[in-house]
Amino acid sequence: MPTDWTPAALSDDIPAASAAPGQLGPHDLAIWRSASGRIAAWADRCPHRGMRLSHGYVRGERLSCIYHGWGYGEGGQCVRIPAHPELTPPEAIKVPVFRAVEASGVIWVAVEAPEAPPPEFPGFEAFRSLQVKAAPEALAGALGGSGLVVEAALGGATVVALIQPLRDGAVGLHLLAPEALGAAELDALSVAAEALRRRVEEGVTA
Amino acid sequence: MSETGAMRDHWYPVGMTKQLTEAGRDTLLMGEPIRVFRDGGQPQVSDGAGRALPVIDRFGHVWTSLGTPAKDLFTIPEADQPGRRLVDVGVCRVRCSPLRAVENFLDIAHFPFVHTDILGSEPHTEVERYEVEIRDDVDEVWATKVKFFQPQAAKSAEGGITTDYMYRVCAPTCSVLYKTCPPKPGEWDVIALFVQPLTETLCDVWPWMALYDDDAEMTDLIHFQQMIFVQDRSVLENQLPALLPLDPGMEIPTRADMTSIAYRRWLKRHGFTYGAQLVAA
Amino acid sequence: MILYDYILSPSCYRVRLMAALIGRRLDLRPVDFHPGQEHLSEPMLALNPAGTIPVLQDDGLVLTESTAILTYLAAHDAPAWLGEDTPAMRARVAQWLAFAQRLTDSAGAARAHDMLLAEGEIAALRGQATQALRELEAALSAARRRGEGFLAGNRPTIADIACFPHVALAPDGGLPLDPYPSIRLWMRAIRALDGFIEMPGIHRLHELKPEPGPMPEVIRKEKA
Repeated sequence: MPTDWTPAALSDDIPAASAAPGQLGPHDLAIWRSASGRIAAWADRCPHRGMRLSHGYVRGERLSCIYHGWGYGEGGQCVRIPAHPELTPPEAIKVPVFRAVEASGVIWVAVEAPEAPPPEFPGFEAFRSLQVKAAPEALAGALGGSGLVVEAALGGATVVALIQPLRDGAVGLHLLAPEALGAAELDALSVAAEALRRRVEEGVTA
Repeated sequence: MSETGAMRDHWYPVGMTKQLTEAGRDTLLMGEPIRVFRDGGQPQVSDGAGRALPVIDRFGHVWTSLGTPAKDLFTIPEADQPGRRLVDVGVCRVRCSPLRAVENFLDIAHFPFVHTDILGSEPHTEVERYEVEIRDDVDEVWATKVKFFQPQAAKSAEGGITTDYMYRVCAPTCSVLYKTCPPKPGEWDVIALFVQPLTETLCDVWPWMALYDDDAEMTDLIHFQQMIFVQDRSVLENQLPALLPLDPGMEIPTRADMTSIAYRRWLKRHGFTYGAQLVAA
Repeated sequence: MILYDYILSPSCYRVRLMAALIGRRLDLRPVDFHPGQEHLSEPMLALNPAGTIPVLQDDGLVLTESTAILTYLAAHDAPAWLGEDTPAMRARVAQWLAFAQRLTDSAGAARAHDMLLAEGEIAALRGQATQALRELEAALSAARRRGEGFLAGNRPTIADIACFPHVALAPDGGLPLDPYPSIRLWMRAIRALDGFIEMPGIHRLHELKPEPGPMPEVIRKEKA
């Protein structure tokens, strides 16, 4: 289990009033942003019937399950059960909540709050998230580094690559690009990232 | 893969009679390969070793068992009433526990969210109290006096109506529901869900209906039910854990879930645990 | 206009969705594709010897390719959806209409295999679909960088409608969409369009409706 912050998604990829699936080690996450912009990472499982909450919908400051519309508010507390509209849901009905903060355009998650805040990367901005079918070490190696945070040359730019170990032999690659790169340079970076993925995945199957 | 347990000695649907050919269909029943085919016009089923398995041809489907069923396959007396149209809806495969597929069929509270503007719609989300019992004489789970407001209850329904339902679990992976029949007040439409457990987390679902509806095209009736079931499919494939938890604590029911609570209790009582998990993971 | 239709067919849904978005009423003729195989019956083969659906009939015109039907509906009722503002836009639409066929042949075939037990080499189909989805994700992320939310520009065209169904239903064929954030945002934008309709497997965007009724705390106060 990672004890540090794990990059799980880019802030721009989860706009207000939307939810997306994510992972943190063995945990499935529903990462969602309320209408007012608050980010949260919860267990991706409605306590009622086990449906993935990341398939749900956001109204205002609540995330609701797509299966029966059970609505959950701050702290994962169930606040509404449509089958019993007049019932105040018992406090025991609660979705497990993880830590989620945003820095440098990245959504970082953790089981318990690590002592230090997540790293900042001044001069860089979030670019793209890709999924790669490879081991974290293989991806870091292909970027010419090691560990889960690699500064690398890619597509003619210097980028920060945040590597997120995922289950089933995959990794998330969250790329940060230098601020104020032009459109053509960003397109070149995207092409280079796709090429990197092909290279790493071919290495895996070779 | 867990033991097939007490469910081994029960009947399961393994194909549509009308679709059966001499070449047959290779499929699975509770993890074991079987072949369903026609021989001399009669439906036959053989197991992986080529041994003949027992066969019943009923409700438009071929039924078999890996074990030794102690009793005949259930009956649906209403289906024999004259004037009903019998509808083979066809197979739909789902990556889920066969028991979760049945449990979803017993649930009405999801109608406004999964079958939006057809079987339910906000703000009509309330589930009123209904009655549930395990009928010991027939060993079936029954839910009665179930009511729900529906914008389009059936192909034949025009506009919203409060629909009455009865639910019946008559085999570990089979359920029959009875609901208000818009063209024939006082009678019930019969809709059945027959589930073939391929493995504990994969099933072939064969919906079947016996309806009073003289006007609709058969294809419309088939498509209506396929639409409803496939709306459920993406929910069924995204429940965690995949196996149905039979021990309390893993999932939180409310009064609206009384049928599911009784179904789970009945499964546990009989040791019907293929597709279930007994201890919270 | 008569549409020979199947409720579970993503290619038929392309046509139903397009018609709904532009307000065109279609006379639907349901075809018992599954389990009845009616698309292979003599009357249907007489209409379309290829044995596929959808088929659109309008006066003497018979169209059997869903992307051609989209072109016809848009040209007939809502030409802006053709995306013909510039030569480049027009070509981009044509490019994505061809791409949509790759989705049908990969993601669509994987779904038919996993759901309706159609024949198919499932690993190869998923591999081809994953490749297509990655291309789409890259293109949509580039579109977002240009401030555009759709495939051929800053408004939806028949290209989006051609690609949307097989992408949105890819999970039915064992292809999760978790790795594709730009695809997720694009699908959301399409689902939020005025006149959008679902098909089974695509849920209603419930967030577009307000939470109904009073909240429990309000009820408590009223009862006190």
